[in-house]
Amino acid sequence: MRLTESQAVIRPRSPWEALDLGVRLAREHLRVLMISWALLTLPVLALLTAALWNYPSVVILVFWWLKPLFERLPLHILSRALFGETITVRQALTVYPQFLKVQLLSSLLWRRFTPKRSFLLPVQQLEGLSGATRQARVRILTQENTQAASWLTIVGAHIEMALYVGLLGLIYLFIPSQIVEQLDWLKLIDVEAHGLLWIEHLTNLLYALVLLVWEPVYVACGFSLYLNRRTALEAWDIELVFRRLRQRLMGAVHLLVLVGVVGMLLLPPPALAEEITAPAMCPLPPQEVAGPDAPHLLNQPLNSQVARQHMSAILASPPFKNEHTQLQWHVGQQGKDKKSSAESQGMHWRDLEVLLAHAARFLEVLLWTLLVLGTGLLIWRYRVWLKLFTRRTTAKPTSPIDTPHQLFGLEVAPNSLPDDIPGEAERLWHQEPRKALGLLYRGLLSHLLHDFHLPLKEAHTEGEILELSKSMPRADIVDYLHNVTMQWQRLAYGHQMPTQETLKALCHQWRILFNSQVPA
Amino acid sequence: MTEPTVTPTPPDHSAQRHRASSLAQSLRQALNKALIGQSAVIDDVLTALLAGGHVLIEGAPGLGKTLLVRALARCFEGSFARIQFTPDLMPSDITGHAIYDLATEQFKLRKGPAFTHLLLADEINRAPAKTQAALLEVMQERQITLEGRALPVPQPFMVLATQNPIEQEGTYPLPEAELDRFMFKLYIDYPGEEDERALVRQVTRSTRSDMLDVTPLRPLLQAKEIMAIQKIAADLPVDDQVLDYAVRLARSTRNWPGIMLGAGPRASIALLRGARARALLRGGEFVLPDDVKLCALPVLRHRIRLSAELEIDGVTVDQVLRQIIDQSPAPRL
Repeated sequence: MRLTESQAVIRPRSPWEALDLGVRLAREHLRVLMISWALLTLPVLALLTAALWNYPSVVILVFWWLKPLFERLPLHILSRALFGETITVRQALTVYPQFLKVQLLSSLLWRRFTPKRSFLLPVQQLEGLSGATRQARVRILTQENTQAASWLTIVGAHIEMALYVGLLGLIYLFIPSQIVEQLDWLKLIDVEAHGLLWIEHLTNLLYALVLLVWEPVYVACGFSLYLNRRTALEAWDIELVFRRLRQRLMGAVHLLVLVGVVGMLLLPPPALAEEITAPAMCPLPPQEVAGPDAPHLLNQPLNSQVARQHMSAILASPPFKNEHTQLQWHVGQQGKDKKSSAESQGMHWRDLEVLLAHAARFLEVLLWTLLVLGTGLLIWRYRVWLKLFTRRTTAKPTSPIDTPHQLFGLEVAPNSLPDDIPGEAERLWHQEPRKALGLLYRGLLSHLLHDFHLPLKEAHTEGEILELSKSMPRADIVDYLHNVTMQWQRLAYGHQMPTQETLKALCHQWRILFNSQVPA
Repeated sequence: MTEPTVTPTPPDHSAQRHRASSLAQSLRQALNKALIGQSAVIDDVLTALLAGGHVLIEGAPGLGKTLLVRALARCFEGSFARIQFTPDLMPSDITGHAIYDLATEQFKLRKGPAFTHLLLADEINRAPAKTQAALLEVMQERQITLEGRALPVPQPFMVLATQNPIEQEGTYPLPEAELDRFMFKLYIDYPGEEDERALVRQVTRSTRSDMLDVTPLRPLLQAKEIMAIQKIAADLPVDDQVLDYAVRLARSTRNWPGIMLGAGPRASIALLRGARARALLRGGEFVLPDDVKLCALPVLRHRIRLSAELEIDGVTVDQVLRQIIDQSPAPRL
């Protein structure tokens, strides 16, 4: 391989540019590539079809499986053609059996499905590597450009399908419409039963034709990716520059050597006396302590020690040494010593981590607070609901502990009532008879609530209070309550006014019942 | 606080009321004799009759639902029809239809069983919704449209429907619109021990083998008298506070937690009408909050629908309603 003879310009490219180069390369040698591919694959397909006529699907599967073997031929042609060696179809086909044997099984088994197939093919075929060395090589090569290689295979599969379907469509378009109308498409579902195997074989052939177009491009693209990777790895472009430099300078060097030799020849030979007398005339001085510690050097006005001090002073000052003080804030790092400048970069990161950790802690506290508040809010929002559920589980209090201060909109607390209720009622009778009777009823309820601890609620009607009061031991009070309630109901709901005598009788009874026994 | 206008009641009104309530009470006594141990249900049914409403009675088999209706029909001299609801019952089987008379060569209207005073719709939930819907018009408007002609049903008209809560297989639940037209929904429960003893004694003595005899009952009221009592009941004075209480009770079902669908305005109307009838039945001359409160359960229980959570928890409608009634303040004066 002579880089200088490369047909393509060798320089580092982006992967996509490299793929572009591959397409260009394939187009350049399209004729050779396609003919050789056709001569290689079509007979194989014909053989397979003949052998497995009844299993067209198996034929296409096997054909597809053998693709890596076929790809070796275009790669061989391309690798030769890149460096200017035009190769004929015949030459290519004669050397092809040599490549065929190399790593046959691995190519067809575990390496069959790698998406980087075309990128890695040159490693085994052109570099001839196998086993661990190949692994190492692949590891280096696949550090970059692998994505492009994988995408190449994926896009390639799609292009194959597109071309294949396109070809089918094209054939369909060529069928006359009269025949299309008579076609029984259902037969195509089970071609075997209807003796239409040839259709399947025809589609197999279409696939082989598609490969004829695409595979050379695929191999060329993989090859160009490989070249690009090696250009970057081994600095081929720089090597090329050096080579050109050498070529250019080689003539000048030859001339210089020639001039040098001629000059040597022209110089006069040295005098014989010089060679003999020189040592005798000037004997070598005796061996002394050499170096800067020699006493004769130390005794000089500027001895080596002083010079050394001077030197170190100079080295310690700019531009050899630049010292500057920098003040920085560090979170939680007070106890730690100053780090060297090399470590300070790392410290920035650590500070950032600490900062992040604090932020995370803060966020955690915030979230927990939100959760607690949210739960509280939910409970508050649905408190009525919750009450509804808890009410049924907890036992109902048998009697309300706190007595209501109001019943039926009437104040029944003892301190809200006048001391002399019947007197007040009689006084009110002339102006507001309703208020007067209301006061009597109210006072009676107050007595029931506070003196007899009757469990009265706001929801109780007058009739229910009457019913409740029947459990009281005082029959006279129950009777009195009955009377007052009747009069009160008649006035309030029936709008029937009691006579003054009735009220007077009620007030009189009140005085008898309460003034004597219960202090009002 | 409203200041009542105190007007002495005219004596003739009072006498009428007195007579009406004594008639109603004698009816109650007669029914109590026929149906033993169900005085509460009899009171409610009579209340509905006086208020001109319809009743849906729910109860286990054999508790005397049908007997009650038959006894009621017998006690007042009116027509009585009974429809046994079955899955294949058609709307025209209830309302009537036109048939072609070959002799006169004309279409003749053949009135259905709904043209009656008392209509017993037995096991109403056994018929599909289209047949149940045949009752909608007659229950609300007291008329039946046949062949494009609206024909009034005789007055008073009352539908008493029964349904069985146990068997759910092959039944069609009543739609809300139908339920809303019933003034009361009553639960008829097992009689008490003492009552049951009396019941067994009486049944085994009667000529019919397994049920109480209603033949000894004699008609107490004419249809016209029922109409008069209904009118008197409708005229009973009601204080604004009592009216407010009835409305408040109905309204509180609409935003009560645990109730998905509250009662509509028909509930407030039914509450007040029921309270008036109950006051008359009690012999009172005006409506008390107690009358409203006693009507609240039968009026509201079929008009609300509980939310799914409470239903899953096994809470009954009555429990929730009792809670509502228990927490609604009685009238304030």
